[in-house]
Amino acid sequence: MKRIVVIFLFIIGSNLSFSQQDSILKLDEVVVSDSRLLEFSNGIKITTITDSTLQRVPGGLTNALLFNSSVYFKENGYGMVSSPSFRGTGASQTAVIWNGINVNSQLNGQTDFNTILPQSFDKISVRSGGGSTQYGTGAVGGSIHLENSLDFAKPWTSVLNLGYGSFDTKNFNYKSKYGTDITALSVGLGHISSENDYKYLGTDKKNENGAFNNTAIDLGFGLLFSRTNLLKLQHSTFIGDRDFSGTLTAPSNSNYKNYNSKSLLEWVNYKKNKVQRTKLAYLYERNKYFANKNSDRFTTSNAKTILFNYDLKYSINNMLLNGLVDYNNVRGEGTSIVAVTRNVVATTFLFSHTVSNNFSYGVNLRKDWVTDYSSPFVYALDGKYKLTKNYAVTLNTSKNFRIPTFNDLYWETGGNKDLKPETSHQVEFGQIFNKKGVKAELYSYYTTNKDLIQWRPSSVSGVWSPINVKSVYQYGVESSITLHKKIKENPIVGTITYAYTKAIDKESGNQLMYVPFHKATGSLVYHYGKYKIGLQTLYNGLVFTTTDESQEVADYFIGNVTLEYDVINFFNTDVAIALSVNNILNTNYQNMAFRPMPNRNFKLQLNFKF
Amino acid sequence: MKIKHVVLAMAFGAFFASCENDDNGGELLPLGAYENGILVVNEGPFQNGSGTISFLSEDLETNEAEIYNKVNNKDLGNIIQSVGFEDDMAYVVANISNKIEVINRNTFESEATIDTGLSNPRYFVAVNGKGYVTNWGDTSDETDDFIAVINLATNTVESTIPVALGPEAIVAKGNTIYVAHKGAFGTNSIVSVIDAASEDVTKTLEVGKRPNSLVLDANDNLWVLASGGSSWPVPEDESAGVLSEINTSTNEVVTTINFNGVEHPNFLNIDGDNLYYNLGKDVYTLKTTEDTLPTSSYLTHTATSLYGMDVYNGKLYTADAIDFASNGTLTIYDLNTKAIDKTFTVGLNPNGVYFNE
Repeated sequence: MKRIVVIFLFIIGSNLSFSQQDSILKLDEVVVSDSRLLEFSNGIKITTITDSTLQRVPGGLTNALLFNSSVYFKENGYGMVSSPSFRGTGASQTAVIWNGINVNSQLNGQTDFNTILPQSFDKISVRSGGGSTQYGTGAVGGSIHLENSLDFAKPWTSVLNLGYGSFDTKNFNYKSKYGTDITALSVGLGHISSENDYKYLGTDKKNENGAFNNTAIDLGFGLLFSRTNLLKLQHSTFIGDRDFSGTLTAPSNSNYKNYNSKSLLEWVNYKKNKVQRTKLAYLYERNKYFANKNSDRFTTSNAKTILFNYDLKYSINNMLLNGLVDYNNVRGEGTSIVAVTRNVVATTFLFSHTVSNNFSYGVNLRKDWVTDYSSPFVYALDGKYKLTKNYAVTLNTSKNFRIPTFNDLYWETGGNKDLKPETSHQVEFGQIFNKKGVKAELYSYYTTNKDLIQWRPSSVSGVWSPINVKSVYQYGVESSITLHKKIKENPIVGTITYAYTKAIDKESGNQLMYVPFHKATGSLVYHYGKYKIGLQTLYNGLVFTTTDESQEVADYFIGNVTLEYDVINFFNTDVAIALSVNNILNTNYQNMAFRPMPNRNFKLQLNFKF
Repeated sequence: MKIKHVVLAMAFGAFFASCENDDNGGELLPLGAYENGILVVNEGPFQNGSGTISFLSEDLETNEAEIYNKVNNKDLGNIIQSVGFEDDMAYVVANISNKIEVINRNTFESEATIDTGLSNPRYFVAVNGKGYVTNWGDTSDETDDFIAVINLATNTVESTIPVALGPEAIVAKGNTIYVAHKGAFGTNSIVSVIDAASEDVTKTLEVGKRPNSLVLDANDNLWVLASGGSSWPVPEDESAGVLSEINTSTNEVVTTINFNGVEHPNFLNIDGDNLYYNLGKDVYTLKTTEDTLPTSSYLTHTATSLYGMDVYNGKLYTADAIDFASNGTLTIYDLNTKAIDKTFTVGLNPNGVYFNE
């Protein structure tokens, strides 16, 4: 690490006006793919999940966040379509940001969290609440940031994980990084497949037609081609092939194949107190749905996005000013979508001011121009104030705006070109307490959402069509306590999170469907010599499955236990073996109605590090 | 569309049973808890749940939810499309579950499950001890649609009759079966005439686009209501509905009445010699002797999302699915006074009512 710092101090130059803080900042610019996330989030709740945790997640990204954040997931059966819900909002109100760019599907405006393998990334950050203006206007609930880092001047390191578990689940994961003083290279290859034919507890049925087979390839390359210029290339491909499982009452023999590829070329230029970035990205998504997998008939849709982004950042004294210009060209077409093109031009202005060691605040402004929509000016304001050495408060407020997706507008039949965008306002107050290895956070928020878009059948023609149906408001708290301690010489890390969410339909006064009032997680990792024991627990509160609160899915508590042992180290290779027992209490639970989730299951994993 | 079946045999059966029991003082023994009243079919949510049947007592004083589940302690099935009857048996068609539950209509005890040989089953009619069920087959294949023929003694599908795209409503007149081909997810515009004995399609008759309901009148004429062409995939193809009358002796279309503009009527019903149908928020009526459409509405219903409509013995029953994600309502109107008798909360996505008496 020291060596990298030295190199970057060298690269940045010997300008004496640079403070130590500035040089660290520059270091972040190079190593971290998305430095703006932290720089312009003074009073925003951000939770990060690091590489070591991600490497050990069973299954898709859903599982990484399920046990490590307050985000609630609606999973259409284990490994199937998974939609996140932040603070009572929906999947379309959650933005997924890959290395600084928004990669939600251009077709349905969402990301299926089981089509991302967490092992592909070096770090995942969860940014709660709206106001993420730099990544688009629609992330009312929050955003999930997937990041790959580039490690210059580092010897060649690799990790290889091989796993086998219940339901014929196999996973393979390889990640390698290498860096010289001027180049950095990373390669990742991930694969998971499963028959996923677990038993439905309490019945004589099992999970039929739930097999999946997912592969991800990730590449990163960085070149410092001069003292002040960096070129970065990042690529990610995901290939998914899943049978979509049925329910207790509805059999299924459908299949869904999807292919997503993302490529990003970035040029970063550093001068004294100025950083310029130019990004060019190409995103491609394609899906095929087979209602009957034994037939060769399918429906399909695809979207191609070309993204250009120019970003200029100035630092003056304790202030950061950042201007961004974005251009997006999206072409979508499919079985039920006539070829359409959408052009979006966006301008964003970000300002962050560290007034003193105790007080910082930020202002974010954005205005979009969209081909088929008029988009208003949105803003976000945030601030953080340290009242004492151990206690800080944060405050933020924002306006968000979500324009309808391609499917909403152009789906045949039913697409509604007269839809109004969704508008949201929110305010959040946070408190952070930090002392001697204990960090406690408590955030309370209030959000209003107007003109939410939902699909309903027309009473006249019976055709399903999206309409602006309702206004809702959400309020609640998110809290967490993290503990870093040592018992004798053995480190122990524990985290507890709890979220209380009220998401109320203004008209009926009822809680929205599939929003739990309570979600809590607890995790503990304890190292003892060559042993490591990990415990993950989740409490998911009751959810209603109808808008009149007449039907519900019961609450549940599940736990996973992992025991890991460092077997040997030879020729600079660490070998560890891990045994996991998931759903150790054999809880019979459903996440969505009539879709039982897996019973107790086992997984054996071999981890190599060299 | 719906089969109003007055079970005389049931009453006779009960009469003979009562003769065997002198202690009963000649009173009829009850056949079951649900012998007299209204069965309301609630389709249920797509995939993630089960359809249910609610029971309203004859005097409309009690409203019991999920009676099948209550009696049998299990879920009925996914997307309850319709119910057909034969003798004491109710044949409940679960579309997404690909099955038919055979239930005693009076006790609601489950008798059998028919779960092989069906593919996207829609509607049921019984003729001479056999059940005939319209099936869409694989909806992405427009050539695999069929009528499943069920042996009602063994409750198994014993043969199939291949038919044109999208068979929906089905009625029988003697040994002749009439099937309206609405067209599944596509469009069709025919009525198939099937000889139940030979299991052959003997004729197809051209009616309006997307025929959705069939009723027989007292003079043995078959009335077919078609909702008209959809604006998808070609907007110019949108067309108004058509009401057709078929003479079941000659199997010819004898009357064709066209709707105006792009009106899409549905839910054709008959009560005596009055035909009723829905158009938007209004219910219209005309005599079976008339060949022009009424110019003014008979009554305006209050349903947010009308999902089923039945007329029986001077009463109109409207099933409202509201937002398709909460319990629906059933409203009963007196057709003479046009006033609401009563409104009940029923299950999710109610799509029709059937009468036990």
